[in-house]
Amino acid sequence: MCSITKEQVYEAISTVIDPEVGFNLVEMGLIYDAIVEESCNVKVVMTLSTRGCPLHQMITQWVREAVERIDGVGVVEVEVVWEPAWNISMAADNVKAALGAGGTAMW
Amino acid sequence: MFSISKEYAPPFEMIAPFFKVGTFFYLAGVIFLLFLDPGSSYTDMHIVGWAHWFLLGFVMMIIFGAMAQLVPVVVEVGHFSVDLYLIIWPLLMAGTMIMSAGFVFAPGILPYGGVLVLVAMVIFLYDTTMTLKKVQYISLTVKTVAAANLFLLSGIITGFVMSLAIGEGISVDINKWLSVHAVLVLGGYVTLTIIGLSLILLPMFGLSHGFNETPINRAFKLMIAGVLGYFFSALVGIEWGNYLSLVVMFVAVGFYLQQIVVIYKTRARKENDIWAKSMFFGYGSLFAALALGALWFLTGAERLLLDAAWFLIMGFFTFLINGHLYKIIPFLVWFKRYSPLVGKERVPMLHEMYPKKEAEYEFIFSALGVAIAGIGILFGSATLFKAGVSFLIVGAGFMFYSVVWMINYGKDKE
Repeated sequence: MCSITKEQVYEAISTVIDPEVGFNLVEMGLIYDAIVEESCNVKVVMTLSTRGCPLHQMITQWVREAVERIDGVGVVEVEVVWEPAWNISMAADNVKAALGAGGTAMW
Repeated sequence: MFSISKEYAPPFEMIAPFFKVGTFFYLAGVIFLLFLDPGSSYTDMHIVGWAHWFLLGFVMMIIFGAMAQLVPVVVEVGHFSVDLYLIIWPLLMAGTMIMSAGFVFAPGILPYGGVLVLVAMVIFLYDTTMTLKKVQYISLTVKTVAAANLFLLSGIITGFVMSLAIGEGISVDINKWLSVHAVLVLGGYVTLTIIGLSLILLPMFGLSHGFNETPINRAFKLMIAGVLGYFFSALVGIEWGNYLSLVVMFVAVGFYLQQIVVIYKTRARKENDIWAKSMFFGYGSLFAALALGALWFLTGAERLLLDAAWFLIMGFFTFLINGHLYKIIPFLVWFKRYSPLVGKERVPMLHEMYPKKEAEYEFIFSALGVAIAGIGILFGSATLFKAGVSFLIVGAGFMFYSVVWMINYGKDKE
């Protein structure tokens, strides 16, 4: 029986920050699921804020490395999906507030 | 599913010269404006020389550098041979300098500059064409890139023939082909490329999602139809066909502006950083150029055409390019110097990697300069024009400083 929890996986991924917006991937709402198997293998299902992201491969690599730092973790797989497409409503309130998505804009 | 792998991304050293050289041409180009008479005809050799300095040395140089990075993102395959970019910028730089000097001082050297520019562009087109051949899914963006490249090829061939006419005296109707050359390069390549790239970049930086793309699809098709219509009308000498094609291009730009409003309305990121402000001013200038162009169309007053070209080149092209440099250069620098350090030490965010105060000054001085000089051209006031140019020079100085600052950020990490 594996003792790693989904929360631990999310916590590990929250160390990965998108350098363009300055928020971590969890609070951006980009992590859709983290499946922890009995063997402690982990599958992360995530998306990106845009399909043309030039950091696509690096971000998935950072997510894998972050999860691999959890003690006792097995094989880590990261799957990027485009459905459902990400939108700002998936982000945490602090992200929305900082980006101005819930507030007013000058233009 | 597609990703840009690290091997697709061109090395920073390969692209940095495009931005350094391009910004130098920009700074020198706005200084040269002091020596131009705003009342000149668009066929005046000083105006033509300046236009080639600015459009080839700044606009095309930066577009080519950006395309080295963006082609894989846009068409979703890696470059055919990214190493070719190593020789594009020196050829384009030398060719542009010789051509501009040829227009102003010595027409005899014009074809020599022209051939260097021609070779630089053919190399660029060769890499892009071979890259497009690897694409499996032919999207509208891929078709647009292909069409834009064909227009560029046609545009540079007509330009080269004209350089032979001016430099070597071969018999060509320059007045007729000058407008075709301008429509092919500015409408067919630069505008079409900017339309295509903005469909990728504006939603990426503004975090816009789920918007309707019908207006931009119409803009693409109408712009292609307009450019082709103008080319063939000129070829067979149908004057009304040229006017009709211009109207079609105007409508295309109108649809493009409609798309920008749609993207703007759906953006999640509402902070007004230097990029956002530059986009706002750039699109405002495009609207002004469109309005002035429509007035020229109705009245035939050449000053209106020159002012429309001013807002198109100095307001729209320049602000879109400069605004994106504050995004593209920090990204390239970050990718090279900081991406290997992620997870090992604190790495800077991209918004920390440009000088905010100087960028702000660049925006304010440049925007004031474009507006004041634009009014000067409209009313034929050389004093007002030169006052505006003085603001532009200060703005360009801050731009040059900012580009050097961004390129040198974190150099100690190497």
